Amino acid sequence: MPTSDPPIRRITPDDVPFSPDFSDADLDGLLVHSIFDSLDPAFHSSKSLRKILRMHSRIVHCETGDIIVREGDWGNSAFFVLAGEVAVELEPPGEFLPETSLGRRVSQRKNLFQAIAQLWNNHREPEYRDATKKAWTDKWTAARNDGRRIYFQDVPQLLTDFKTASMREGELFGELAALGRTARSATVFAVGESKLLEIRWQGLRDLIKKDAGMRASLDERFRSNALRSFLRGVSFLQHLTLEEETLDLLVREAQLETYGEYDRAGALTELADEDARRNLIDEPLIAEEGHYPNGVFLIRSGVARVSRRHHHGHQTLSYLTPGKTFGFEELESGWKSGSSVPFRYSLRAIGYLTAVILPTALIEKVLFQTKSSTAPIRPADLPEQLPSLHANDDGLIDPNFMEFLVQERFVNGSATMLINMDRCTRCDDCVRACAATHDNNPRFLRQGPIHGNIMVARSCMHCQDPVCMIECPTGAISRELNEGEVAINDATCIGCGACARNCPYEAIRMVEIRDDQGLFIRAEKDRKPITKATKCDLCVDQHGGPACQNACPHDALARIDMGEVASLAAWLDQ
Amino acid sequence: MARPVRKRTLQRWRKLLFLLALATVLLIAEAIGSTALLKTGLATGWLLLVLVVGLALYNLRKKLPFLPLGSAVTWLQIHIYMGLFSGILFGLHLQWQLPRGIFEIVLALLYSVVFVSGVLGLIVSRVFARRLSIRPGEFLFQRISPMRHQLLNQVERLVIRSMETTESTGVPEFYARRLKPFFERPRHFWHHLVLSNRPVSLLLSELQSLERFLNETERDVMRPIGEFVKQKDDLDFHFAHQATLRYWLFVHVPLTYALLCFAAIHVVLVYAFGGAIS
Repeated sequence: MPTSDPPIRRITPDDVPFSPDFSDADLDGLLVHSIFDSLDPAFHSSKSLRKILRMHSRIVHCETGDIIVREGDWGNSAFFVLAGEVAVELEPPGEFLPETSLGRRVSQRKNLFQAIAQLWNNHREPEYRDATKKAWTDKWTAARNDGRRIYFQDVPQLLTDFKTASMREGELFGELAALGRTARSATVFAVGESKLLEIRWQGLRDLIKKDAGMRASLDERFRSNALRSFLRGVSFLQHLTLEEETLDLLVREAQLETYGEYDRAGALTELADEDARRNLIDEPLIAEEGHYPNGVFLIRSGVARVSRRHHHGHQTLSYLTPGKTFGFEELESGWKSGSSVPFRYSLRAIGYLTAVILPTALIEKVLFQTKSSTAPIRPADLPEQLPSLHANDDGLIDPNFMEFLVQERFVNGSATMLINMDRCTRCDDCVRACAATHDNNPRFLRQGPIHGNIMVARSCMHCQDPVCMIECPTGAISRELNEGEVAINDATCIGCGACARNCPYEAIRMVEIRDDQGLFIRAEKDRKPITKATKCDLCVDQHGGPACQNACPHDALARIDMGEVASLAAWLDQ
Repeated sequence: MARPVRKRTLQRWRKLLFLLALATVLLIAEAIGSTALLKTGLATGWLLLVLVVGLALYNLRKKLPFLPLGSAVTWLQIHIYMGLFSGILFGLHLQWQLPRGIFEIVLALLYSVVFVSGVLGLIVSRVFARRLSIRPGEFLFQRISPMRHQLLNQVERLVIRSMETTESTGVPEFYARRLKPFFERPRHFWHHLVLSNRPVSLLLSELQSLERFLNETERDVMRPIGEFVKQKDDLDFHFAHQATLRYWLFVHVPLTYALLCFAAIHVVLVYAFGGAIS
């Protein structure tokens, strides 16, 4: 095997800690801080805590007005306030801080000249990387310092004009988005000079795993902080003007449930391999058809299968994504008729799922006999419900195709590549366009499972719950801040292959990188070729969105958000 | 209940109606121009040249996927309807008569071949793409040849095993006469394009007939070969259709460039010899 000379050192997780400047002295200073007082003493003095902090945390110094997290950005880390004060915008979020003042950082797109220059700058050799050590160092540095300072200018005025809550030393924020692999629900900024401990979600996960107190504390924090804003976003509660008292009641009475295993990608991978019947039985049951509803289920994260009994098996009807609800119609019908109406369908978790349950009695009390009006709400006043569940009731999607999508776990995708094989001429314009925008390296395979005339290509689907991120030791695979595309930082990828193994859809490929002569770049120590994980990045650095979709002349290829059943149905019905 | 008309079908009808309206306007304008003794040939000629250049730009768009130039779907739709419109313009430019002179004949032939190949390409794209789904398997075009060789090797191994175990020449002879030519390269190209199964059915029946003359061991060897024949036929089917879907462009695109060159010379000649401006 021809290899490049001289070899370079293979990077290891230790080479890419969250902060290269995190010294032993910093660590010692940190461990005596009160934020760790609640930890189990044995764990507090253990080496593993030191290792977690060293690998996954960094100290962040903020000046007055600095925006620390912004509502809508995708979170990969959480923050402890070590010193100073920060402010969080209060609910409803996003209504007082204008987008312009948040200085949203658009992903670094190529300018027009850089885009055109790809015509001659793309390398002839596959998977070219600059092998010189200086370039690697520069890239690492760039990767570590990729954040520019974004700040509010007049903080006192902001605090006077708008409703905010203060957080001081010892408090934690951002953990829900980081652990839920979801978007930030509020903007947080520094009120004065502050010192924060930023901890990557992998580190937070390890802390929770090793310390029960930390786990309980996070559950409590969800109830006291995020549940309130989550409930305000629930569609069937939106027509009510929720008084604080009512909201307090909902927050107090709501139950939080998790289904499936949080950090086990295998759950998805293995299930996708099994047969449909086995698969469905193995999925954690959330609500069962025929049982009387004990409440309304609100999906917070993950994907759930909706099915009903069909002869001796179960037929999949639809799937629910975050923000969707289950069980409300039965409660509503029961209330109208004066008798209990059982669940018409079953609900099961696909992979890891978190849900909020509003108990029946609470729904009846708050919604059907609301305190805000003197008389109970008439049925006609209730909003149209469960669009997600009924999007397919008119038979818009072939039930077998629906079964196929759920069975193969494709419903997890937010940009699933679907190809209509009746229209695809196999011209490969999509593959060529992908290669042209990725230094002549196509980032997907025009192959994959086919159902009827629809192929689900082996391309990253940018999952709602990206299980590929679970075991990445350096956080190289993460969500982009603005749109949440799952992208790989080539400079910090150590080529361990954990993401590729965890991806249930075979959408991540490990490639051996080469120099400008096409020779494999090998590691200094073992002289084996250095590998990197590669996949579709949804053309985040290109103009005009995914090149594959734009390049298909026959309208055969589309990137579909599977969370939108109606738009999927519309595309299939073209 | 009648199935509602699909969005795409509605769009297609709308575009066709628009094209017809445009063609009608063009025909009326040309008729008025001719009645008024205007040089309509010059106008239709320039318009045709602009259209052909515009049509050729589609290929450039395909080479620049990284620029925000709009989706290829839109470009292709414009390409198709502009191409059809250019056919009417071409007829008007020639005043619905055959061209005179070698250069004009070559130019008209070039346009005609580009136009016809484009229309055929469109039909092929729509019809053959759908056909590819009727046979089992989905094969990448570049991998069809290695897969064919793989099948050939598997068949060869079976034949050699038969020869070694039975010392009979029944199977090897049939292999040399019928199977090797079949597995060696893509076969029955045109039959596949007209959806005829005749050649492979014939081969399979020959295979079946041969079984009468074989012993048990040889029959065991021959049994999987029948399956391999079917697999190879599927590969040939995909090859024939995918090759047609790809290679019609090898006529359409190069001849477009030739047409552009000839059209440019045509413009120069028209102006040089005063026909257009006198």
